[in-house]
Amino acid sequence: MTQSVVPAPDAYHLAQAESGHGADTNTGVSNAKLAIWLFLSSEALFFGAFISTYFLYRGRDAEFLKGPTPDEMFNIPFTSVTSFILLMSSLTMVLALAAMQRGDHRRLRIWLLATCLFGLTFVGGQVFEFTEFYREGLHLGTNMFGTTFFVLTGLHGAHVTMGIIWLLVLYGRSMQNRLPSTNSESVEIAGLYWHFVDIVWIFIFTAIYLIPSH
Amino acid sequence: MSDLSEVDEKSDADEDVVEEALGLAPGEALGDLVPVDPAHLTAHEEHAHPGPRQYVMIGLVLVILTAVEVALSYVETEHSNLIIAALGILASAKFFLVCAWYMHMKQDAPFFRRLFIVGIVGATIVYGIVLFVFSSTVLKS
Repeated sequence: MTQSVVPAPDAYHLAQAESGHGADTNTGVSNAKLAIWLFLSSEALFFGAFISTYFLYRGRDAEFLKGPTPDEMFNIPFTSVTSFILLMSSLTMVLALAAMQRGDHRRLRIWLLATCLFGLTFVGGQVFEFTEFYREGLHLGTNMFGTTFFVLTGLHGAHVTMGIIWLLVLYGRSMQNRLPSTNSESVEIAGLYWHFVDIVWIFIFTAIYLIPSH
Repeated sequence: MSDLSEVDEKSDADEDVVEEALGLAPGEALGDLVPVDPAHLTAHEEHAHPGPRQYVMIGLVLVILTAVEVALSYVETEHSNLIIAALGILASAKFFLVCAWYMHMKQDAPFFRRLFIVGIVGATIVYGIVLFVFSSTVLKS
């Protein structure tokens, strides 16, 4: 009877779970969090391939500027607003996680919904931009700019759409009381994916829209 | 009898440590009885996530950095390489802020951080080589 025992509040266990430490697994870390970090690491390589391809042809290939050019097509103020909206969605996402960790399910749902709305606005802006470009004669096969631009930003938009669906599933589970406060990790994992999609856009926005094309 | 009083005194001392670590009032730490490892308490202090106030502050910094980026893209100068370098630094700063604060890399297990850094550094090296090789050979003409 030499082992000391003291009261420990739930906050202690929550903090352990938040940090991913002390999980009852072979690695000592949460398997679900390990999986998402591995996935995000592979996604860095995935998006890196498309960003590199864009840079590879920009200014080095005659086909890149044959037809509509980036300078003629881009509407920087419009894209800046949609980028701002996506950045703010990261803030609302992390506020949703903070609410979940406090056990405040009402605010969790509000912030999740706000994140989805911001995400939908971003995707809507992207659809509008693509439509405008198409009307002005820039297609997937028009030139290397069209090919690399549509593939890269389109894949990013698809990732945002997947994130919105994921968040809506969490919202639905919360509405049905199937998202207990002890399972904050499920919100955290969705949040990690959402933030990753945001940081990918940080680089796409700078690399494609802001850096001069020649 | 003296053994029991020693255990009680040690329990009280440990309880004080828990309350202090969690910022609770004396006697507030009432929950299930579990063995306490003082090392875990330190881990808790180090790994607690930031609060909403800090998240909003980071959000504001991100907005300001984005505004500076957009403003820089409108600057007309002969030294476009300087603008490109500044834009790269600002984008990296935003990347760092989101990773460290919103993705909780500062607080999470270091293993996750290493895993992600391997992906980022790996991508940078691999595609750096690809860009260098292609630009100096295939697309040189």
